[in-house]
Amino acid sequence: MCTVDGLIFDVIHTRCIKLIYMVTRRGFLKGGGLALLGVGMMGGIPGFLAEAAARDKITRPYKKRKVLVCIFQRGAMDGLMAVTPFTDANLQAARPTLFISAAKGGNDNPLIDLDGRFGLHPSMQSFTPLFKDGRLAIVHGIGSPNNTRSHFDAQDYMESGTPFNKGTASGWLNRAVGLLGHDSLTPFSAVSLTSALPRSFYGDNPTVAISNLQDFAIQMRGNPMAAGKVASSFEDLYDQTSPGLLKDTGKESFEAIKMLQKADIRNYRPDNNAVYPNSPLGNSLKQIAQLIKMDVGLEIAFTESNGWDTHFNQGAANGIFARNVTDLSGSITAFWTDLSTYQDDVTVMTMTEFGRTVHQNGTGGTDHGRGSCNFILGNDVNGGRVHGSVDTLVLDNLEDRRDLKVTTDFRCVFSEVADRHLQLGNDKALFPDWDGAHIGMMKPLS
Amino acid sequence: MNTKFLRLTLPILGGVILLSSFWGEKKPHRMPYREAGLTEKQAAAHLLSRFTYGATPGQVDEVARMGLEKWFEQQLKADLPEDSLDAQLVPFDALKLSNEQIAATYPKNGQVIRMAVKDGIIDKDSVKTDRKAYRDIIKDYMDKKGYKPENELFRQLYCQKILRAAYAQNQLREVMTDFWFNHFNVSVTKNDCAQFIPVYERDVIRPGAIGKFGDLLKATAQSPAMLYYLDNFSSSGPMDEMRPMARMVAARKAQGLNENYARELMELHTMGVDGGYTQQDVTQAARVLTGWTVRENEYLFTPNRHDKGEKTVLGNRFGPDGGEGEGLELLDMLAHHPSTAHFICRKIAIRFVSDDPPSTLVDRMAKTFTDKKGDIRQVLLTMVYSPEFWSPQAIREKTKSPFELAIGAVRSLHAKVAQPMQLYNWITRMGEKMYCYQAPTGFPDKGQYWINTGSLLSRMNFGLALATGRIPGLTFDLAALNNNHEPESAQAALVTYCHLIMPERDLDPTIKRLTPMLNDPNLSQKVNAADGEKEMDEIKPVQTAASLTQVVGVIIGSPEYQRR
Repeated sequence: MCTVDGLIFDVIHTRCIKLIYMVTRRGFLKGGGLALLGVGMMGGIPGFLAEAAARDKITRPYKKRKVLVCIFQRGAMDGLMAVTPFTDANLQAARPTLFISAAKGGNDNPLIDLDGRFGLHPSMQSFTPLFKDGRLAIVHGIGSPNNTRSHFDAQDYMESGTPFNKGTASGWLNRAVGLLGHDSLTPFSAVSLTSALPRSFYGDNPTVAISNLQDFAIQMRGNPMAAGKVASSFEDLYDQTSPGLLKDTGKESFEAIKMLQKADIRNYRPDNNAVYPNSPLGNSLKQIAQLIKMDVGLEIAFTESNGWDTHFNQGAANGIFARNVTDLSGSITAFWTDLSTYQDDVTVMTMTEFGRTVHQNGTGGTDHGRGSCNFILGNDVNGGRVHGSVDTLVLDNLEDRRDLKVTTDFRCVFSEVADRHLQLGNDKALFPDWDGAHIGMMKPLS
Repeated sequence: MNTKFLRLTLPILGGVILLSSFWGEKKPHRMPYREAGLTEKQAAAHLLSRFTYGATPGQVDEVARMGLEKWFEQQLKADLPEDSLDAQLVPFDALKLSNEQIAATYPKNGQVIRMAVKDGIIDKDSVKTDRKAYRDIIKDYMDKKGYKPENELFRQLYCQKILRAAYAQNQLREVMTDFWFNHFNVSVTKNDCAQFIPVYERDVIRPGAIGKFGDLLKATAQSPAMLYYLDNFSSSGPMDEMRPMARMVAARKAQGLNENYARELMELHTMGVDGGYTQQDVTQAARVLTGWTVRENEYLFTPNRHDKGEKTVLGNRFGPDGGEGEGLELLDMLAHHPSTAHFICRKIAIRFVSDDPPSTLVDRMAKTFTDKKGDIRQVLLTMVYSPEFWSPQAIREKTKSPFELAIGAVRSLHAKVAQPMQLYNWITRMGEKMYCYQAPTGFPDKGQYWINTGSLLSRMNFGLALATGRIPGLTFDLAALNNNHEPESAQAALVTYCHLIMPERDLDPTIKRLTPMLNDPNLSQKVNAADGEKEMDEIKPVQTAASLTQVVGVIIGSPEYQRR
């Protein structure tokens, strides 16, 4: 045990050293005890973090920074193939070549039986232990109250968080940043590992899109000496410019560079021998793990996965869909393994704009539908269960007699995860037009 | 140069010309910049920073000589010849096509596959979009049919915008085209709308950019791009009034009233969110606009989809049975609403004056907007003849967007752009994915949106990449910029190029901070040793070539250069 400024922490992990370090700074800065800090320590913390610590509203005893990681599966994942209600004969009849059985002993790999009713796609084997441990939850029948089947509109509505209003300027994750309750944020408070800012991040709170952490430097190809010199010229120029946006942001940029330089991103080695798939999603999650372990103040991370619009030959146990879910589950599992002692701080949530038709179409695929499912992974998740409700798939139970009904509003799940994990506590601000109740897919606060 | 002559005579001359063409007798003869303490050249630099994509070398002097008023009038006429630009645009063959031709030439990827299945080229059970052999078959099929990939269409769209912004003589029209496109935003990210965007910009936005607001509004309302982007193409009246066939189609496609366009029409295109309309008005306006749809790739009013009942919007009655005319009346009413005058003028002032423009200015512009029935030229004139436009609170208060930065750098250096997509990629990296802003709000027009730690670093790296010759296809001649005069020392070079790239600014602090870069002999040697690029060796003034290009890179990435 160690005691710092009235707070008690168990010294279990090496992380605690960093944690105490932060708490110490914050405590001292708050208490006016700055002089007691060693000079060496001062030099180690970038100015904006120190400022953030000093100005931060402390409304509760300091806790580790919690991180919410969102993965948008663009193109609309077939939720009925990812997590199949395999006892439903209607589904098997509607999908003669797409249905995968849970029965063992056939030629193909069977579904992974989760609870006697739902089966996980065989390519998501790596999810099984996480589900059995109660860390991974699934919500089935999740979707938007707006019945649009346009990718663009549905993604737009899901990311703005206002399913009936296109003009909402901000995205829901940007509003979440605002609700974190800090007076100041670090350059890495909200990071999207994408080439452009996603709709979820639009808004007034500071967020950043970075396609590759290695790009986060002054670049002079093959000329590190010149790069260093040029960087210091830039730093000087931004330092002397008139007060305001450019000066402040310039300062943060150079401090951020220094933080990342220390971490040696190029030679990163994941913990616990985690192996990330060499895919855009795998690489994004690896970089998010790096940011988390650097303790640079990351609280909301976003990335995406493409290729879910499976109109043609989506395959069954093998094929396009199988490759997609191999990548999805493999990337998430590697990320989770790599997080190691940070697992308590992190919750991962997937999302997709809608599901796909119950019936397969004429080209071995499925068309745009309504309800899908999503995955939530974390130690504060009420896992090991398939939440939500999925009716028997007889024609009369289908939305417009073709699609899995949306039984759980996406805002219900997003708000519960964000509220519980990041402790935002203001659904009205997060999702202005929504006043539903949570469904208990997160564990209650103990 | 006799500056006294210039100061006294040219503004009067310019004023006389203006008087005859645009201005009533009560209007001032010249732009009130001297009252704000600006010299002619400083004022020219400011005016150019707002109504061009950046001054080209020597342009500030040229405009000051010509007279600011006269230059502005010429830009408002927008009839300067564009021969050189047009020649550069010749290879972009998609730019001249109609919507119909585009649809026939650049089918969407999904359509291609469906057609290939139908033609028996591929088996519907073997569609494997992720296999190379399969993609080759599709490519072969497309070549035979004369189809071109959709991406080629968008590539041409992006390239033409970059070339126009960099090289158009009628700069103000390009700037206003960008402004109105962003105001009436549509997005390539929306598949249904994407292929109509080139024609939308060419035939709707650019021709209307300095015309009457009401005409522009109507043209956007009737454009396939907007009809798809905000879903009005699908909006129809009550189904029980439809003919049986139409009812069946509507039921199958889950159609009915769609309010998206009507809402954004009021909230974003005309009155503004606080403009004083209600949800009821939105729904009623949506009913007025039912039947405005797309057929054969063009706008069509379809009476059978139109809601024939009576509607009330903002207290005004429309219908019953008003047909297409109801919608036109509605647009006309919205275009001339006082809230619209205020909302549009404030947005224009944000673009051209500052992120938070003074309300006195906006009110004055709004009065012109109303008095002149939405004449955009008159609104711009009121703005630049107002003291607020020239006040210290406006000078260099705007932060360049990534597009403005990239194009500005090209113009500052008189650079040639042989591969516009390389610039496109940099602009994306700096945070502005052109034509791809997803929300109908368009890109937020404020510095805060553009500047964050990541994007600022990208701007610095852009400056360095450009200046040190690492953007393929982008070439320029630093010596020629200075009329092939070799500066006498490294220090002289620094001063010279700072002033060439950023004319009429106080650059002492910048120069002071950059001086150490040049005076470090260590640096130049190491740079030369490490960087064997050809263009570095070609320029050999007194200071080492490498350090001059680096200095130019740092100037473009400097805080001062991010402002306009």
